[in-house]
Amino acid sequence: MKFTITREQLQEGLIAVASTVPTRTTLPVLSNILVEATADGVRLAGTDLDIAVSTVVPAEIEAEGAVTLPAKKLVEIVRELPSAGIHFSASGEQRVTLECGRSRFKLLGIAPDEFPSFPTVSFDNAWKMTSADIQNLISHVVFAASTEESRPILNGVLWEMREDRMRMVATNGHRLARMDIPVSGGAAAADLIVPPKALEQIRKLFGPADEIEVARSDNHLGFRAGSTHIFTRLIEGPYPNYEQVIPRDNDKVVTVDRQALAAAIRRVGVVASDQTHRVRLSFSSGLVKFSVSTPDLGEAEDEIQATYDGEPLEIGFNATYLLELLKVMPTDEVRFTLKAPERAATMEPVGWDDPASYLCLVMPLRLVD
Amino acid sequence: MPTRQVTHRRLLLADADAFYVAVARLVDPDGAGKEPLLIVGGSSKRGVVTSASYETRRYGVRSAMPTAHALRLCPKAVIVPVPREACSQKSREIRKALERFSPAVEPASIDEFYVDLTGTERLYHESLAATAARIRAAVLESTKLTVSIGGGTSRLIAKLAAEEAKRRRAGDKPGVHIVPPGGEEEFVGRLDLAQIPMIGPKFQERLARYGMRTVRDALRHDVGVLEEWFGKRGGHWLYNRIRGIDTGPVEARIRSKSISHEETFFDDLTEDDDLNREVLRLAVRVAADMRRKGFLARTVTVKIRDGDFTTRQAGHTFPQPVSADRPIVETAHRLLRKLRRARRTSARLLGVAVSQLSEARDPSQLALFEESSEGDLETDHDRTLARMVDGINVKFGRGGLRRASELRGGER
Repeated sequence: MKFTITREQLQEGLIAVASTVPTRTTLPVLSNILVEATADGVRLAGTDLDIAVSTVVPAEIEAEGAVTLPAKKLVEIVRELPSAGIHFSASGEQRVTLECGRSRFKLLGIAPDEFPSFPTVSFDNAWKMTSADIQNLISHVVFAASTEESRPILNGVLWEMREDRMRMVATNGHRLARMDIPVSGGAAAADLIVPPKALEQIRKLFGPADEIEVARSDNHLGFRAGSTHIFTRLIEGPYPNYEQVIPRDNDKVVTVDRQALAAAIRRVGVVASDQTHRVRLSFSSGLVKFSVSTPDLGEAEDEIQATYDGEPLEIGFNATYLLELLKVMPTDEVRFTLKAPERAATMEPVGWDDPASYLCLVMPLRLVD
Repeated sequence: MPTRQVTHRRLLLADADAFYVAVARLVDPDGAGKEPLLIVGGSSKRGVVTSASYETRRYGVRSAMPTAHALRLCPKAVIVPVPREACSQKSREIRKALERFSPAVEPASIDEFYVDLTGTERLYHESLAATAARIRAAVLESTKLTVSIGGGTSRLIAKLAAEEAKRRRAGDKPGVHIVPPGGEEEFVGRLDLAQIPMIGPKFQERLARYGMRTVRDALRHDVGVLEEWFGKRGGHWLYNRIRGIDTGPVEARIRSKSISHEETFFDDLTEDDDLNREVLRLAVRVAADMRRKGFLARTVTVKIRDGDFTTRQAGHTFPQPVSADRPIVETAHRLLRKLRRARRTSARLLGVAVSQLSEARDPSQLALFEESSEGDLETDHDRTLARMVDGINVKFGRGGLRRASELRGGER
């Protein structure tokens, strides 16, 4: 294997691949990046066995071949090199020399046949979409997925493909986010449960203008844009019946300034319990009052104006959940709908000029005194 | 403008000398009390030394050593069982005596207590060494037990100084050693890395690979180098540790992170029925303890030590915290089956622990999805039953009411 590549090209490729390389692993070859000189350029690949990323960067190839090199060291070396051509040459399968100007490195690798093979996913009947649409879904929904190991299914994000729309749903069992984006000429319907870590890679690696192809095999999902591929393991379903828990008869509707609401919750939240983050909200005509009372610590009260003309209602929430929702709400005003102190509340953007539709819901905390 | 003196923390570690031995002698002054070669611990063939008198230590007898081995080293030694009740009682008495000097007393184990005396300079008008000496005298008077006391500006220094105090005590000097503020680096610099708490055999091996055996060896490297070798956290930790830097506070009330019980068996158990019964007994005890302390738990862990000393464990985390016996017992049984499937061999020890504790009075977060389909969560019926059994056992003592399947052969 022998090739010459510019530092910038190599660094761009490494950045894409290195974030998948696990920091700790029991399988040493996973700490390495596969560097493969092919007729099309240099293919770089990394995987943690859940997610695999590969990309091809242009290079002047003198002799084809493959090696694997320690990801961390390779990234560090390339970062320190001057902006010039880097010449790679391998002697055997495990020894590689890097030369750049007057700098010279010899690195020891692991034989490429130990590197795990990538999942086989056929892109023949792929769904086609813009990266901007996926990014929109990811940035509004993924945060709501569970990070606890108790219900593995909730660690995933449900991605529904339909003829006229795609939808993402995530929940941790206490709060939920759901977003729909209309599509035209969508291909086959499917329900996919995707690990959030993979979606995070999609968000990082694909630019908003990229056209992305998405395809699945039995156990894997593949993303392709240009010469970059991302593969992820799928989580096996079934996903809980979320439709059933979305309230349809919430008759109390509050419209409120997003920033003002978040600021008030943050303020009173300072004295909320570290365990429950419980904040009490009291809705009355034109007003939301906030109060917190934590034994051994103290109390706080606050209020802001809101558009509300329903019956007075008191309800408790985990302040962290509310703040997370408010952070991702895309508009200056939000609509809160409620029914009763122990029933789910919904939150939606008001006046969003986006064809997407977006709904979050959050379960209250029981107010026991 | 008046110059303000920098105030240093003033922490002590009071460590009872040969605690179990001393208590055993107090409990039985005519028996154990007259026996210089005394070992406290299990006397069965599986027993281990809990504590050995200073006289027996001269023969090489150490805590945690199998009793059989200890007897080979010191054949004349007399073994007495651990006086558990008396030990807990004495431990509480020591704590009480210490609390007369400062409200910030944190038990580190049954016979070790951190005492924070920061801010008492003006109250006591004396050096830390003088206060420590008064504390020793007060503990001796009220408990008849001697303690060695180490002092310094951090928990780490106090702990190391207490060990120094013990070494000195062996030479019949008063058991107090105080490291003055600013003297930390020099004090720690005299030690081997192995003497620093939390630098265990594995870490020592790694340190040795870089040619470091003593603290002085390690002091030569700057923080960047140590971080390069042992990772950002590990390197930084080591850098501070060997300079005696430790900012951990002394906490009078520590929130428990887990509650557990374990049992080493007289003979290794091989039958599923026996193991199931023991796991049941342990799980029921853990669940009752947890409720008594006012906690709920989300995680149940079962630990098994095989006949060849391989220790394995398996855990399960519930989506919501539980407190009743049923989900905890069922999960413990399931985890035991899992461990037995992985390796079917004799067991010398079983343990059950609950963790991810939350306080039972926390207002509960309502859930979106019905949890009942999960099957492993508790019902109101389970909770009521547990409350009733707890009530009966408070009235009639532990084991007042229990399941027939908890009974061992011969018990009625």
